[in-house]
Amino acid sequence: MNKKEEFRIQNSEARRDIILRAEKLCKTFRNGALETQVLFDLDLQIERGEFVAIMGPSGCGKSTLMHILGLMLSPTAGRVVLDGQNAGQLSDSRRARLRREKIGFVFQRFNLLGTVNAYQNLAIAERVRGNKLDGQITTALEAVDMVDRARHKPGQLSIGQQQRIAIARAICHRPALLLADEPTGNLDSGNTRKILDLFTRIHNEYGLTIVMITHSPTVARAANRIIHMADGRITDAPAESAEHV
Amino acid sequence: MLRLAWSNLMHRKIRSVLSVLGVAIAVTMLLVLVGLSQGTLNEVSRRMESVDAEILVRDKHFDLGSIAGGKLWEKEIPRIKAIQIDGQPAVRQVIPVFLGRIKLGGLSQNVFGIAPENFSVFAGSRKLLAGRVFTDVPQPDVENITNEPLELILDDRLSRATGLKVGDNMSYADQAAMIAGVVETGVAGRVFAPINRLRGVNGVAAQTAHMFFVKVRPGLTTDQMQILCERIEMATQRQASLVAQYGQVLAENFRNLTIFVTTVSIIALVICFLFILVTMYTIVLERGREIAILQSLGAPRAMILRQTLQESLLICSVGAIVGMMLAEAVRRMIEHWQPLMTVEMRAEWLLMAGFIGIMGGVAGALYPGWMALRHDPVEILSYE
Repeated sequence: MNKKEEFRIQNSEARRDIILRAEKLCKTFRNGALETQVLFDLDLQIERGEFVAIMGPSGCGKSTLMHILGLMLSPTAGRVVLDGQNAGQLSDSRRARLRREKIGFVFQRFNLLGTVNAYQNLAIAERVRGNKLDGQITTALEAVDMVDRARHKPGQLSIGQQQRIAIARAICHRPALLLADEPTGNLDSGNTRKILDLFTRIHNEYGLTIVMITHSPTVARAANRIIHMADGRITDAPAESAEHV
Repeated sequence: MLRLAWSNLMHRKIRSVLSVLGVAIAVTMLLVLVGLSQGTLNEVSRRMESVDAEILVRDKHFDLGSIAGGKLWEKEIPRIKAIQIDGQPAVRQVIPVFLGRIKLGGLSQNVFGIAPENFSVFAGSRKLLAGRVFTDVPQPDVENITNEPLELILDDRLSRATGLKVGDNMSYADQAAMIAGVVETGVAGRVFAPINRLRGVNGVAAQTAHMFFVKVRPGLTTDQMQILCERIEMATQRQASLVAQYGQVLAENFRNLTIFVTTVSIIALVICFLFILVTMYTIVLERGREIAILQSLGAPRAMILRQTLQESLLICSVGAIVGMMLAEAVRRMIEHWQPLMTVEMRAEWLLMAGFIGIMGGVAGALYPGWMALRHDPVEILSYE
């Protein structure tokens, strides 16, 4: 891409306020002589303040895409531009810095630190981000309605409560982008509804950009826009093999 | 982050306690071993240096540990007294000492055979706490008076350890002996006896001695005393050294002991280091998910490494402190059950043990920390 074209795209993005752009993303995993391509020339644009669901069947490359968008994995080809910064040109440490400053992660398995309580889970995340511990932890716990469980360890919480703590940890530093990988994948229908309501609420109240990976059309409907994926590509229509809740 | 390290250690209490104990035992072993060997040598050295004389003469082949080897003869004393420095006699007095051996308080003790009139040279400012100074016989009468008990003076520490008091009877080399006096602790010998009687009891020739303590003319400088030592060596073909440097003489005589202690200390340190390495390696393997979570949050590499180091340092710091406390407890136990043994605990040794423990912790955590940095967070968070 020449400079002129780059400038044209950046200008266009500024007008549309694109927070995340993926261009021609390819990802191939190598295991000895075995090569498995998971993503094929994938293009994607997310505007600031959008709530987007990326939906597709298991094995279509959604999680790989999310790890690349979350700067935890490097693409084999193509590039990711987050909030105007080309992640492909950054060193590991700069990418880690961009991740901790701009991104919040919500995982399917919550991934809370099991040896410390809910409050400390948020506090450690804030320390990692280099933020001072002021009222934002309590604010985040209030946002997910978990203030009264702040001193409980993850093992003392229900799975729905654990996911709410994980969401509080992800939004505590007001990230530019919240990435959620199958956030309701381990939850029953009641907790799924609560978590989706929570996503909708924090999206509306904080104007947070959310990209949610899911295989469930029901969950995906909580988003404002649905991007369908199949076989490592963005598709126009839902894949036939998409599972249902 | 320190809270996370602490929480992790508390999460596996038994393993953490065992890890702390592993470090503590290594530190204790180090401190007690060094404290016991150096403490004993230093204590003997301090007692010898308390003698009110400046130069010690002994045969080159004389072994301080076993009191075996070459002996001196009193007929050599005039040759020493004749030495001059700056045209004047340099030596004021030469005090012969004959050494015997006796087992008291569970340990073999050197008996300092000295003339009664020289006791003050050895006692110095220390008082005779009970009894009196022993009496001796003139040399020609030694063999005629064998039915009189051999009179001994013990130091207070030995007296307390053995329960022997003034007037108590005992035996020495199948001969009757009695306690004539008890002197304050800190004098050169723990047991003193009259020199002529001691020679007689040991069946050695009159005039025999193991050491000469030389009192020099007042006003001699250290350099002049060194020159005097050289002249004594030339005149007698014996070894002469300053009493003030007795510690060095002792260290040279017990060089093998120092080598042994150093070797055992190094082995203890290596075991300590390996113990921490294995512990931290296990912790890192177990904490893969936690490290991956921190990485997903954007934790820099230095922070991941610091996390591993913090846990290791916590284990090692607590281990070093517990080790110092254990060493002090062992010191007290040894001095309670073996009151004649001296275990020294110097502040610099404690600091060194703490430093070594902490450095072991840092070194032991580096490889596991490096392993932690190589974790692929995506793989762990996706499949664990």
